[in-house]
Amino acid sequence: MTLYRLEPRPGEVIDRSSEITFTWNGRIYSGYKGDTIASALAVNGVRLLSRSFKYHRPRGMLTATYHDPNAMVQVGSDPNVRSAHRLVEHGMSVTSQNTWPSLDFDIKAANQVIGRFLSPGFYYKTFMSPRWMWPWYQKVLSRFAAGGKVSADHEAAVFDHRYAHPDVLVAGGGPAGMAAAIAAADAGAKVILAEEEHQLGGHLRYGDADDLSALLELRTAILTRSNIEVMTDAVVTGRFDHNWVPIVQRSMDHVEERLVHARAKTLVVAAGLLERPYVFEGNDLPGVMLSTAVRRLINLYGVKPGNRAVILTSNPEGDAAAADLERAGVEIVAVIDTRQGNTVTKAAGRKGVKQVTDSSGRTHDADLLVTAIGWTTPTSLLNMAGDRPAYDKQAARFVSTSLPDEVMAAGGMTGNGSTQELVDQGTATGTEAARRANGDPPAPVSKLKTGQQPELYRSSTHGFVDFSEDVTSRDLFLAAAEGYDSMELAKRYTTAGMGPVQGKVEAVNALAVHGEAIGASLLETATTTWRPPYAPIRLGTLAGRKHDPVRYSPMHSWHETHGARPLLAGQWVRPEHYGDPAAEVKTVRESVGIIDVSPLGKIDLRGTDVSKLLEFVYVNKWSRLDVGKVRYGIMCAEDGVIMDDGVTGRLGPDHYMMTTTSGGAGGVWNWLDDWLQTGFPEWDVKMTAVTDGYASINVAGPMSRELVDRLADIDLRPDAFGYMEVRMGTVAGVDDCFVWRIGFTGELSFEIHVPANHGLEIWEKLLAEGKDLGVGPFGIEAQRIMRLEKGHFIVGQDTDGLTQGFGVGVDWAIKMDKPDFAGKPELAFQSERGDYPRLVALQTEDPAIVPPEASQIIDGEAGIVGRITSSRMSPTLDRSICLAQVAHNLASAGQQLNIRLPNGATVPARVMEHHAHFDPEGTRLRV
Amino acid sequence: MLLIKCPHCGPRNSNEFTYNGEVIPRPGMDVDPSMWRRYLYMKTNAAGWQSERWFHVSGCRRFLLIERNQDTNEIRMIRAYGSQS
Amino acid sequence: MYRYGRAVKRGPDMTRQQRFSAWSLFTHGLRKTPWPTVWEPHALQSSYDVVIVGGGIHGLATAYYLARNHGITKVAVLEKSYIGSGGSGRNTTIIRSNYLTTEGSRFYDRSVKLYEHLAADLNFNVMFEQRGHMTLAHTDSSLRTMRWRAEVNKFEGIDSDVIDPDEIKKLAPYLDVSDHPRYPILGALWHPPGGIVRHDAVVWGYARAAAALGVHVHQETELLGIDIESENVVGVQTSRGPISTPTVINCTAGWASLISAMAGVTLPITTRPLQAAVTEPVKHFLHPVIVSGSLHTYVSQTARGELVFGASVDPFASYSTMGSLEFATGLANHVVELMPAVSNMRLLRQWAGLCDMTPDFGPIIGPTPVEGFYVDVGWGTYGFKAGPVAGESVADMIANGRPGRLIESFGLDRFEKGTLTAEKGAAAVGH
Repeated sequence: MTLYRLEPRPGEVIDRSSEITFTWNGRIYSGYKGDTIASALAVNGVRLLSRSFKYHRPRGMLTATYHDPNAMVQVGSDPNVRSAHRLVEHGMSVTSQNTWPSLDFDIKAANQVIGRFLSPGFYYKTFMSPRWMWPWYQKVLSRFAAGGKVSADHEAAVFDHRYAHPDVLVAGGGPAGMAAAIAAADAGAKVILAEEEHQLGGHLRYGDADDLSALLELRTAILTRSNIEVMTDAVVTGRFDHNWVPIVQRSMDHVEERLVHARAKTLVVAAGLLERPYVFEGNDLPGVMLSTAVRRLINLYGVKPGNRAVILTSNPEGDAAAADLERAGVEIVAVIDTRQGNTVTKAAGRKGVKQVTDSSGRTHDADLLVTAIGWTTPTSLLNMAGDRPAYDKQAARFVSTSLPDEVMAAGGMTGNGSTQELVDQGTATGTEAARRANGDPPAPVSKLKTGQQPELYRSSTHGFVDFSEDVTSRDLFLAAAEGYDSMELAKRYTTAGMGPVQGKVEAVNALAVHGEAIGASLLETATTTWRPPYAPIRLGTLAGRKHDPVRYSPMHSWHETHGARPLLAGQWVRPEHYGDPAAEVKTVRESVGIIDVSPLGKIDLRGTDVSKLLEFVYVNKWSRLDVGKVRYGIMCAEDGVIMDDGVTGRLGPDHYMMTTTSGGAGGVWNWLDDWLQTGFPEWDVKMTAVTDGYASINVAGPMSRELVDRLADIDLRPDAFGYMEVRMGTVAGVDDCFVWRIGFTGELSFEIHVPANHGLEIWEKLLAEGKDLGVGPFGIEAQRIMRLEKGHFIVGQDTDGLTQGFGVGVDWAIKMDKPDFAGKPELAFQSERGDYPRLVALQTEDPAIVPPEASQIIDGEAGIVGRITSSRMSPTLDRSICLAQVAHNLASAGQQLNIRLPNGATVPARVMEHHAHFDPEGTRLRV
Repeated sequence: MLLIKCPHCGPRNSNEFTYNGEVIPRPGMDVDPSMWRRYLYMKTNAAGWQSERWFHVSGCRRFLLIERNQDTNEIRMIRAYGSQS
Repeated sequence: MYRYGRAVKRGPDMTRQQRFSAWSLFTHGLRKTPWPTVWEPHALQSSYDVVIVGGGIHGLATAYYLARNHGITKVAVLEKSYIGSGGSGRNTTIIRSNYLTTEGSRFYDRSVKLYEHLAADLNFNVMFEQRGHMTLAHTDSSLRTMRWRAEVNKFEGIDSDVIDPDEIKKLAPYLDVSDHPRYPILGALWHPPGGIVRHDAVVWGYARAAAALGVHVHQETELLGIDIESENVVGVQTSRGPISTPTVINCTAGWASLISAMAGVTLPITTRPLQAAVTEPVKHFLHPVIVSGSLHTYVSQTARGELVFGASVDPFASYSTMGSLEFATGLANHVVELMPAVSNMRLLRQWAGLCDMTPDFGPIIGPTPVEGFYVDVGWGTYGFKAGPVAGESVADMIANGRPGRLIESFGLDRFEKGTLTAEKGAAAVGH
């Protein structure tokens, strides 16, 4: 046992039979299982844990909780670990942060000397010139960034998410919280009880014998109720709309951390109270600690916090701490009682407290100064629920004023009381919480009375207000004097409250000091905003596991095993090519190729009014489309902008099949639903999205008819099955297929749509049957080349967010004599104006130059007059081909244009007569 | 994450829905450009109660008419299009 | 509530600014003398030549340039809370000019140039760090848009180009440029002049400089109404009394529709919360600003070492700045995908600001059908970077009676005319 380890005590949480060794800054130390890193170090006499952010002052434990601003260390590759909460583990490698060359001797402590020049916001007042030095100043300033290190090869651990629907969620497992959970469970509610410490009990854990026996009773009661789920080392970090509450579970066996998304019917906040530090000169020295800190160290961890103590007390908790210290063998050098008009003005020492001065001027030699001057109510979750807590002067803290029915506060947060009173209030709250969760009308629960606590914020000297940001009360005074005289401005100017402790330890003191500085009372200046999360959450925990679905076609496995290069297209993975896209183009143009177009959006439409719907959403006419015919259409939004395009075929009298772009499928489906439900609810139209229901294969090339004929039972002869027609039938023995003749690639082609579970089978059969014809697969790249050779535009590539219906080469399709269709008025205005950009086909003078897509088209005076939207080398024509958008006055056939390449060179190009660079009459399609 | 009480599906998380904006009546086809563009672009954008459309895209796929307070996110009325309730 | 009583001795009222500098910092430190106040509260005058509504960067910059460039000093800036309490104090401080359109590029480029010497102009270090701005592309259509932006930028003389994954890795070693991510990085738009700035300092710098020139900055002063007679502005009603004035400029964000409604002017705006979050600080490892359009995520590391994140606007319109859990989880998911090493860093706080979204992702600057009522609104998610140029242009417009070339395509009447700006492509998550 070390010098500072006390005899076993009844409430301790350490296991003395299990020793744990770890290193701290390279030296080996040992503690017991159940020790925190900080308690294990303290028991070995190590008090110096860190150096502060700006002044690099030596720091030791202050609160001995998760929220201790002075206790952040690096554990392995994990930065900013809260050493007063994290339990020691065998072999842990712990190091101090932001110290150089060592924690003991830190060179940046020189900052303390020049501190008077480093007043708040000093960096706003200088480093402005000379400007060329600014990047160097930046580098210097960034060296001062506090915090641990993130290493590049850090391996992410496993983080988990869970969704819970408790009737009653109790945040806080102290006496009131436990009682509330028990009462709610007894009233039949499903309860989750979350406690941020490693054990339930709150302040009872480090209390006296009565506290410990009350704790045992409550714990036993909880264990026997199977409808209470207990989570320890779990913190409720926020409260969002309609009681959407995140809980972070920190110590789990099989996952690093878990985020629970809970939709709680009633939320009971029993977060207790946080003890507040006192502001005075030297209040940040190691050895200056809160009364609850020493009580935890003594009673939970069996650690003797020092040898000679001065106690500053103003309340019963401070008195109890004095008793605990005495029992632990600490020499009480002086008890300074504010209730007797005395207080502390200074703590002095170099690397720890050596001497304490009180307001009478007397000095005391001590290595420990314990303060008990008051409490902060952790109202964070209540604020997030819309509460506006008010300051209770008598209790010197804030209390809740107005909560929505589904959120309740219990226990010490609401007032003071004996353990029994806290339990009774918790019980009443829990019972009522269960009633409200059940839907019963809310009834009030009687509050606890707030006890007396003298208002003690700052002594007569200046000290630290925000320990992690190194902001002193003097800084806040200076800020006010400089004119930053609202709390928010002062906070931002001094950065008080913006550190890792998120205001828990400093916000109220800052408010009080600021009030002092501007001569206004706390009541009036109080508007602190508590932003989520209540406690810091790891990014990994928030992220959870990756659930980002990928969509595969039924033929995907074939593509993979045959060397397809995968292309991510939206959520889909598609084959870009199988090694040589130019060769694939050749195969299609000369014999036959097959492409997997399963991601094509497919919507099955049935009803007597389908043609009305089509007539409304497309720009062209559909009322006289015969059964067995297919038409191409473009859809415009109400602002006339082209939204999507595709072919739609009439499979039966009241049965149509619409296709959309693969990326646009979801959007079009929603668009149709919108019009059918909200615009024309009287129409008889039923829709089914069947994109995934059909595998789609486009068989293209001069030999395509022959190939498909070998598999389909449909009459494919030209007279029987013309261009832009559709037939239903059986393909390779598979029923319910539909086949249409369309022409995206410009070749004779049959697009086969088969029930998806037969897709792979049909694909393989086509390849097998067509071997002698020279069949081969072709991918997206080959398809893009061929469609460009034919001048077919791609919505979203050749058109953009402002491209309206006219001007892309389908003016013939826009039937302005229809009475109403989506986008009609804007299209009318567009056509009247006439000055819209045009989509044109371009060919560069030099056939070998392929201008990169998005190269700009420049006109000497007018500047940028357009851009290349699509560009490829055409294997069919053996030259480059483009589509481009250009200003209307430069869009006529034969017009010379200049394309500016990314390397700055300008190349000439000519506007072509047709969009199609190859077979503009479309003769190859119509064989 | 609002809780939206879908008339068909019961209370569901708001991320199952898409928000489709404040209700603005569509004018007839015989309007002049500025009237049409008023429909397209101009908004009331109330800092208070608003009639708006939501779509239960990951659920029943019904369009809903909702009255929500844009300040507090309180919802006081939800009705499916084409129904009385 | 803001109070005017003083318990602390304040520095002397200044008619001449005591300049900030290393020397004055040293002498003040040595002698422990108080600094002069950055701005003073004033009684509300019964009339002003110009009343600006909104004490954020736009309002304060406009006031400053009115005074500095045009000698118009009888100006009141009305701020209903404390200056910079709105979007100016909630944004993620990204400055850049790599926009998609010619008008956009030119406009934001002017702003970047102003930011480059703003500290010297205002004698207040706004800490503009030109770290470089990288917009990642994860799909070929996104890469195409990056090329589009790069070419337009280059044509306008803006330093901007497309780089490949190897170059990306050199600039930001912690980014995962392998093919492991769900959406691998294919390339990026690299813009060296882009960076981050200390947003509060910009607000304070403009306020201090404007105040020094005679502008009255009225905090805790809410606009209650706008007085109009025969389609002309004649005055305003405030929570501290009436002001008669012929000119009112709406420089608010979040409240633009409400304020404009006071003048009977309707706007094509919907208000959406835009959330942001910050982590605790760690040692420096990320130099440039990283944006991913496809993942709707942006991240930068401040001089203090914190990571600042943002994403796209909330999925539904609202005036609530509460924030949401799904923002944090969605964002974290994407950030950890981009930089796996950060999974142990802890998020410290999240907040939201209000963004006024327009149909074409362009602002609305200029006159309205009500004579004397001007707007500088509709700033969506790109308002802070434009503060200086907007202020300069609006001041110029007020002084000269018509919008200048830089802002002529941003007028309110473009919606009626159907001549919307073409920034839609860039603003998917443009920052």
